[in-house]
Amino acid sequence: MTTRAEQSIGASGTAAPKRRKLSRGQAEALAAFLFIAPDTIGLLVFVAIPMLFSLSLGFFEVNGFGSYKFVGLANYRRMLNDPLFFQSLWVTIQYVIMLVPGLYVVGLGLALLIRRKSRLSGLFRTMFFVPNVVSLVVVALVWQVLLVDRVGFINQLLETIGLPSQSWLGDPTYAMGAVLLITIWFLMGYYMVIFLAGLQEIPRDYYDAAKIDGANAWETFTRITLPLLRPTSFFVLLVSTVSAVAGGQGFDLIYVMTKGGPANSTQLGIFYIYMQAFQFNDYGYASAMASVLVLILLLLTVILFALTKGGRFHAT
Amino acid sequence: MSTDDSAQQGISRRELIKRTGKIAVATAVSSVFSPFSINVRAATTKTLSFWQFYGPGGGNALQSKWFEDAVNGWNAQSETKVQLQFVPNQEYMNGSKLQTAFASGQGPDIFIISPGDFLRYYNGGVLTDLTPYMDDAAKKDFFPNVMETRIVNDKIYGLPMEVEPMAMYYSVKAFKEAGISESNYPKTWQELFDVSKKLTKGKRFGLLFDTTPGYYQNFTWYPFMWQGGGDMVTPDSRKSAFNSPGTIQALKLFQDSIKLGIAPRSGLGFGGPDVVANLASGYCAIQNVGIWAISGLRDAAKDFQYGVFPLPIPPNGQPKSVLGGWAFVANAKGKDPETAAKFCVWTVGSMSPESIERGVDWCIRAKSDIAPRKSVLDKATAEGGYNSGPMQVFKDQIFPTGRDEPRVPPDVYKDVSDAIQNCQLRGASPEKQAEETSRRIDSFLASYSGATLK
Amino acid sequence: MPLETPIVREKSRLGGIVWALFTGILAFATICPLAWMISTALKVPDEVYDMTLIPAHPTLVNFAYVFTKLPFVRYMLNTFFIAGSITVLALLLHSMAAYAFSCLRFPGRDVIFMAIFSTFLISLPVIIVPLFILARQFGMLNNYAGLIIPPIFNAFGIFLLRQFYIGIPPELQEAAIIDGASYWGIYWNIILPLSRPILAAMSVFFFLANWNSFLWPLTITTNQNLWVVQVAIASFHDQYSGSWNFIMAASTVVALPTLILFFIFQRQLIESIKTSGLK
Repeated sequence: MTTRAEQSIGASGTAAPKRRKLSRGQAEALAAFLFIAPDTIGLLVFVAIPMLFSLSLGFFEVNGFGSYKFVGLANYRRMLNDPLFFQSLWVTIQYVIMLVPGLYVVGLGLALLIRRKSRLSGLFRTMFFVPNVVSLVVVALVWQVLLVDRVGFINQLLETIGLPSQSWLGDPTYAMGAVLLITIWFLMGYYMVIFLAGLQEIPRDYYDAAKIDGANAWETFTRITLPLLRPTSFFVLLVSTVSAVAGGQGFDLIYVMTKGGPANSTQLGIFYIYMQAFQFNDYGYASAMASVLVLILLLLTVILFALTKGGRFHAT
Repeated sequence: MSTDDSAQQGISRRELIKRTGKIAVATAVSSVFSPFSINVRAATTKTLSFWQFYGPGGGNALQSKWFEDAVNGWNAQSETKVQLQFVPNQEYMNGSKLQTAFASGQGPDIFIISPGDFLRYYNGGVLTDLTPYMDDAAKKDFFPNVMETRIVNDKIYGLPMEVEPMAMYYSVKAFKEAGISESNYPKTWQELFDVSKKLTKGKRFGLLFDTTPGYYQNFTWYPFMWQGGGDMVTPDSRKSAFNSPGTIQALKLFQDSIKLGIAPRSGLGFGGPDVVANLASGYCAIQNVGIWAISGLRDAAKDFQYGVFPLPIPPNGQPKSVLGGWAFVANAKGKDPETAAKFCVWTVGSMSPESIERGVDWCIRAKSDIAPRKSVLDKATAEGGYNSGPMQVFKDQIFPTGRDEPRVPPDVYKDVSDAIQNCQLRGASPEKQAEETSRRIDSFLASYSGATLK
Repeated sequence: MPLETPIVREKSRLGGIVWALFTGILAFATICPLAWMISTALKVPDEVYDMTLIPAHPTLVNFAYVFTKLPFVRYMLNTFFIAGSITVLALLLHSMAAYAFSCLRFPGRDVIFMAIFSTFLISLPVIIVPLFILARQFGMLNNYAGLIIPPIFNAFGIFLLRQFYIGIPPELQEAAIIDGASYWGIYWNIILPLSRPILAAMSVFFFLANWNSFLWPLTITTNQNLWVVQVAIASFHDQYSGSWNFIMAASTVVALPTLILFFIFQRQLIESIKTSGLK
């Protein structure tokens, strides 16, 4: 596959000899199509087709054992009268609003912090990344020991300084906060690495010039780092938003830690969808809700892409 | 070569490509979508698959060995072989693996389910009627209160391998420290609270009820509802019975345990059912948990001293417990439902000495359970399985008060779960929750057409 | 703002110490919960629930036990092969696609890109049933093909690489074309070497994501010889729910290879800045 692509791209790209000549634009387009073909076909087969199929189930009543009945918009009507669906949307919104900026600030902050040349940098970088490699069940167990009622480390600490202990995971008031904290702790190393790679892309001359101009650290940051980091920032914000809504590692964490509780306070939309599909065997309803989530995300993405010229930030 | 020729060739080639393309697309589409419309039976292999969650390499080797021995025994005498397949427990109960397999027509031929799951599979039409393959003697051998939730219209759809009642476990050390005599264990809710208050000290909670939302929490809560005469639905399962004093006081029980500060809002380890991480670790002094904890403690906390007492009751209440436990079922849409059904009966539901012995093995050696059948229970008793300690309490005091874990559709389960969670952890009014939940159950039942709730 | 010019180095001896202290404390706080994991893995059963950080009687018995109970080495080799294959193939295909989307002009570019991005808006559980059926039709149940091929395709990688390639000056490509280079030549000789930092980062992500993947391998395999580490770990957790010492030991064992890998690759990630011609 690759070798064939290589040959034809090679042939069409250069002098485009022998056969009839392609114009520069045509050759470029042909090469581009060959470059994107393997991934596009794979995505079409393994993601897009299953996705379209899944979403179309929203118009059916599906029992999960082979019975399919077309019901039109019934699942969507049911959604409008389902308080749990709206509650899960509200939980999702809270989650996104707090998680996305949190991850951005912490991820970028860590990247700036450990960009420094020092013998310790490598060690620190690895330490910040450590949470990411541990299996989720253990993450859940470990944080329980920190957060559990009364005997948890954090509560012991609070009691020694005379503050009341709380049930961080069992009280609807705090559970979301606790889950957010753990999620940021778990994912920050990941975003740190993305920012680190993004920072490497910024040519060093810019910083040297700023130095000569006598810019202070804050000016350097706001005038060089942030603007030149825009493609990376765009990526981080979009990806963290999408995975918070569509269900990424954050979802897995909630799944092992709170199961959506206490009293549905951490029941994200995607969690509710998962329950409807796999515990209640109501694939039709789950699909209808999933398509609403996808639609919301799609709108958000289209707007973001339109505002940022496709995430390029400069005319091409 | 004339131009005509090449043109014709060109056309025919193009035409050919077009046609093959069309056929290929059509085949691809139909092959992808067919399992959703037609129930494909793969007739090629005649090996039946048997999914369960007791895997190799566990803390208790006897449990996985029991399954292996049963399957080997069957394979030695049958032409149609059975192959054992292991699915990790959490994934088996809450995950998507089974559902994905069933949705694509690839469900296991034989599997095990709990009563809480019965209606989802029964209403999905994947359970085989096992009655034709059973002796009358064997049908009568199973205890009626264990079979209730496995029967629809007098037909048996699942054969339980075990019965798992709920009780209270306590730490002997904690009782001693608080000066509570073991014979004076709490018999009423009030006494339970009083004792728990005394036991709540320093880093230890007096009492632990499950707090994680899910089927299991509902399961632990049901007996407290029944004790005061409450229930989820009317016997004909047409209407909700949820808004009753019995239900309200049970919701209040869970709520008060938190309000009084004697029970935690979150547990350690795997929560409510995990007795080692909570009771044995000293996090709580009394834990509401089932009979399986006996073997759990035996395997993971040998030296821990504990005792068991029946669930305390409210004023004017009846002693009640709930009976969990898993049952063998055969997939009606599987490769060979008849043989699968025969396998279930042969393993756990026949009057043969081997089948009875297998039951004894499971209930008093591999695990710690009450036997679901008279013959098995008698033999296990004769072999000393229930002679003393917690096993005796379970068999003599708790099992007779047991009612099978209810079978309800997921929608009803979720409504009840929300009511428990809202009262216990959000401090909602039990009266209002009972009323609201009752209304939701009614509106669900109005359009429900599956098998009766039990 | 840490800068790497000599001037900064000279005057900030003190700054260096402050930095090291501050970052060190943060880093320590980050791994603190996991230090407890390792410490529990070293404890004897009686101590497990003491919740102290330093085991009184450290032991390696738990690790030995983990290896005797399940063939973890086999599962680790399986996972290494699967995650490694996915990473290499995915990086190649994604960087090819990303190069086209960022540096080449062709009709429908933005529309196709948006379409590809939209596949990112849905998570595996939502599509797992139809995907499972497809995999079955392709004969991908219970074999390495099924474990490796479907997970390769992921819009995340294309999007991330594209965002980085956008920063590459178009003049670079123009110059190469005038020199007579083919598009494949440009991609292979210019773009790929330039993207070493981000490829290093991505190889860590991809390897890790697949080392940690659970749902898909669990769904399409019934053969235990094809198990990956996370499935083994899940089964282990279930069966030893009370024995935290074993759970923690098993998790430590499974986490170690990825940690070592990250330590090596993060160096690569930082080193690559020196060699890239752009800067």
